[in-house]
Amino acid sequence: MMIQHFPILAIMAYFLAAFLIVVFGKNRTVRNVLGFLGTAIPLCLLIALAKPILIQNQIIAYWMGNRVPAGGYAIGIALEVDAMGLFFGLLIATAVFVAMLYSFSYMSHDDNEPQYYTLFLMLCGGVMGLVLSGDLFNMFIMVEILTFAAVALTAFRNTVFGALEAAFKYLVVGCIGSTCILAGTIMLYAQAHTLNFAQLAAFLPGNLNLATMVAYALLFIGFCTKAFIVPFHPLAADAHGAAPAPVSVLISGVLTKSGLYGILRLTYILFRTMNLGTVQFWLVFLGSVSMFVCVTMALAQHDFKRLLAFHSISQIGYVLTAAGLATALGVSSGLYHAMNHTLFKGLLFLCAGAVLHETGTTDLGKLGGLSKRMPKTTVLFLIGAFSISGIPPFNGFASKWLIYQATYQKAVESGSIGFLLVTVVCLVTSTLTLASFVKVTQSVFFGQLPKEYDNVKEVPFGMRFAMGILALLCILTGLFPGFVTNYLTEPAARAVFGANGYIDAMMGSGYAEGFGLADTLPVSFANVGIWSPISWLCLLLIMTLAVTIVAVSSKYDAVSKAARQSDPLPLADLEAATAAYLPTAPANPAPRYATGHAAEGKYELFFGGEESVYSQVGGDDMFWGFKHNWRHYFSFMHELHSGIVNDYALWAVIALALAMLYAMIIL
Amino acid sequence: MTIITDALTYLAYILIFPGFLFCFLSGMLLCGIDRKLVARMQKRVGPPVLQPFYDFFKLLGKETIVPAAANKTVFLMAPLVGLAAQVVLQLFIPVFSFHAFRGVADVIVVLYLLLIPALSVILGAASSGSPYAGVGLSREMVTVLAVELPLVLVLLAVAKTVGNALGTGLCFSLTDIVRCQMENGSLITRLSMIPAAVAMLLIIPGETGSHPFDAAEAETEICEGMLAEYSGAPLAVYKLSHAVKLLTMTTLFTALFLGGIGGGVQQLVSGLAPSLAGGIAIVLEIIILFLLSVVLVAVTVSFTHAVTARLRIEQLFKFYWTVVTGLAAISVVLAWYGL
Repeated sequence: MMIQHFPILAIMAYFLAAFLIVVFGKNRTVRNVLGFLGTAIPLCLLIALAKPILIQNQIIAYWMGNRVPAGGYAIGIALEVDAMGLFFGLLIATAVFVAMLYSFSYMSHDDNEPQYYTLFLMLCGGVMGLVLSGDLFNMFIMVEILTFAAVALTAFRNTVFGALEAAFKYLVVGCIGSTCILAGTIMLYAQAHTLNFAQLAAFLPGNLNLATMVAYALLFIGFCTKAFIVPFHPLAADAHGAAPAPVSVLISGVLTKSGLYGILRLTYILFRTMNLGTVQFWLVFLGSVSMFVCVTMALAQHDFKRLLAFHSISQIGYVLTAAGLATALGVSSGLYHAMNHTLFKGLLFLCAGAVLHETGTTDLGKLGGLSKRMPKTTVLFLIGAFSISGIPPFNGFASKWLIYQATYQKAVESGSIGFLLVTVVCLVTSTLTLASFVKVTQSVFFGQLPKEYDNVKEVPFGMRFAMGILALLCILTGLFPGFVTNYLTEPAARAVFGANGYIDAMMGSGYAEGFGLADTLPVSFANVGIWSPISWLCLLLIMTLAVTIVAVSSKYDAVSKAARQSDPLPLADLEAATAAYLPTAPANPAPRYATGHAAEGKYELFFGGEESVYSQVGGDDMFWGFKHNWRHYFSFMHELHSGIVNDYALWAVIALALAMLYAMIIL
Repeated sequence: MTIITDALTYLAYILIFPGFLFCFLSGMLLCGIDRKLVARMQKRVGPPVLQPFYDFFKLLGKETIVPAAANKTVFLMAPLVGLAAQVVLQLFIPVFSFHAFRGVADVIVVLYLLLIPALSVILGAASSGSPYAGVGLSREMVTVLAVELPLVLVLLAVAKTVGNALGTGLCFSLTDIVRCQMENGSLITRLSMIPAAVAMLLIIPGETGSHPFDAAEAETEICEGMLAEYSGAPLAVYKLSHAVKLLTMTTLFTALFLGGIGGGVQQLVSGLAPSLAGGIAIVLEIIILFLLSVVLVAVTVSFTHAVTARLRIEQLFKFYWTVVTGLAAISVVLAWYGL
């Protein structure tokens, strides 16, 4: 069958394109064509796999060189694609394709473009190889490839302040993570004498001894560093702050997904420990802490991209929390949110890139009023911001709403009030997310336009097109939650719970039963909520139409501009009056009212006409009323995030030690 | 034929009851009653009860001014979308036994739909480019944050209590919440729900931004904050939106805690005039709903307005995240253990 070869072809396409760009990449057209093909072909191949795997529930097991298992031992290199792997693969291929489209315009002013595309495609190939791989050692190799590609891409614009530092931090802690994965792999090999996932998955659940549990902790922490779960979150912020925008899309939308994939594969399929309350607690706890800590950290940021980076981890926290519930609805809603996270976070990073591309800064304190110069980017940004803040009917709401249901149902079923607390944390985090995006909206796109950005233009069509794809997907996945859950997340969630099918597809049917393993968890996706986005949207549209008709018929649109240049009175009088008190009277007052600049608009009358007195309400201290009450928490957090790589490496080691200790206690 | 009659019925729901016209009339009336009550409590004569209507129509005729720094489209569209979202939200809140759109949104969705009108005001204010609006919107956002936590807890407590009563564990459907109360008596009669009801009463003035929780509008310091740049028809639309919000919050309270009254009405009507039960019951229910709204507004909005002074924004936040949240949390814990 032809489709058997699609997974390996998808991985090869990325790597092949990467190598070809090294050789033939000097010419821009050749480079762009190679880059386009290198990302478009895997996407097409994976979409072709969607029908057999997601709908017909097949699992593709592919043996390199046809070295099939002999005597119950799998020695060859294998790829295995089940619904979960394909689900992540589709997310990754989509995000990568869009980021590539965006790069064509965005990176066109940089030096060393061939190197950029090579690293970019290496990273993509690494992540794709990771999610489609069928054995642990190849997974480790892919982790290495993607980590080093990501480190190099973080420092790609090495003239940017902090880029090298960020890359160094990422390198150090990323290597600790990779080492953990390697050490875990070695320990498992020593125990099970195999590296094949299917065989490990059959062997491990019956052999949870001290060695395998320590390996479990090592692998878990290794994948946590890839997903930037707390306490590895500061790396992400630094890396995103320095990296070019499409690379941020890769790091947040793609790389973190590989970590999540690893955690799911590890906990659900390899070790089958998710029926243990202690493991559920561990995941939900880490997820909730990530969710809350990172959203508060985001509130304190005054750099657009750093703020987005913290939100990224906060959303990953939602996914981990939902996945840790170990209910069908929980896993399905978590995967739904993982998908939405890729879409909206990609969109937001690309918007931040657009702002950086046009203005040269992402400092929230310096920007403002860009909606007048970049109206299309503003609309796209608002779609992304509404999605991530969970405003109906965008996609973030659909998945968060399912997560609330899942956590609350879990609380009721298990009778534990702790899960109720998780529901509350989820809901409050969502509002805090909204708050910080209100801050971004106010400080970047609305408010007043600083003078130096007067000549800012809209970004080129190529970049807007890439953002538009993601925005459209954000809306569609929000409006049709039923489609997404039926055809994408529920098959993937079934695969998460169907470890026996995964084993049998690779080792021959009946292999898993030979180890006395059975899929125990019931798979029911029922929830008690009611939400019909299409009906709501229809109602809203009818109502808006009705209101607008009434409004327009009553002079709503009979707008008079206060600040027309031709208005002779009374503004001229005021000008004359204030000019007398100004230290230097403006030489040419005529265009003052046409532009609406911070220091030139009508507000100077209220602010005494001095530029220094002008107060831009944005950036730093937007939510003083909130932060004042949490000042002790914020100053604690501030001290904790020292920015010193030694500290972060220490956190990693402490986290590893705690995880090992915890894993031993479970045992 | 049925399609046409169905469409007309739904259009009537949207435009007349419980949609636009009902919201307009009763919201404005509530606003007028509130102003009159506050005036009487302060020993003033106060405006006529119909003053909000006069204000509204007068504002519609006034000139609309768009500031030079503003993004015109957002500035003008934000009030309209906000009003539409507010009225649509009203469609999902049941009037005792009558529930126009029962299959669209549950309690959690309503919680999020409550954010949309606030968000539209915030975006409109942000797009005006005014520093006063900037201060106002930052305070409004903090107010929303402050109110959100206790509101979440109140809803979870209600969902759990009703779930226990229905035997399903938890229940998010507003229809079921009201139905359960009509069968088993209002939730406010349960001891465990009283703290949540008090918390909800304290949330109403916060959500509607009235004294002492009106830091975001603070006429005396930041010129009504977010509305500083608005004039003419868009301002009228915002005033209307605010009035409808008053109605929404009070009817939501009624649906969550006083739903049992609907059962009483049904019994009363079927006892008096069995042949006309349906028609009379609904009229009676609407009247009772409105009267309850008036009482709730008088207690939560007018009375607190008359006797308190404005809190600073960080005091407001602290109040909601300690006192009100504490009350709601007590209810959640009590409901959790089935009391």
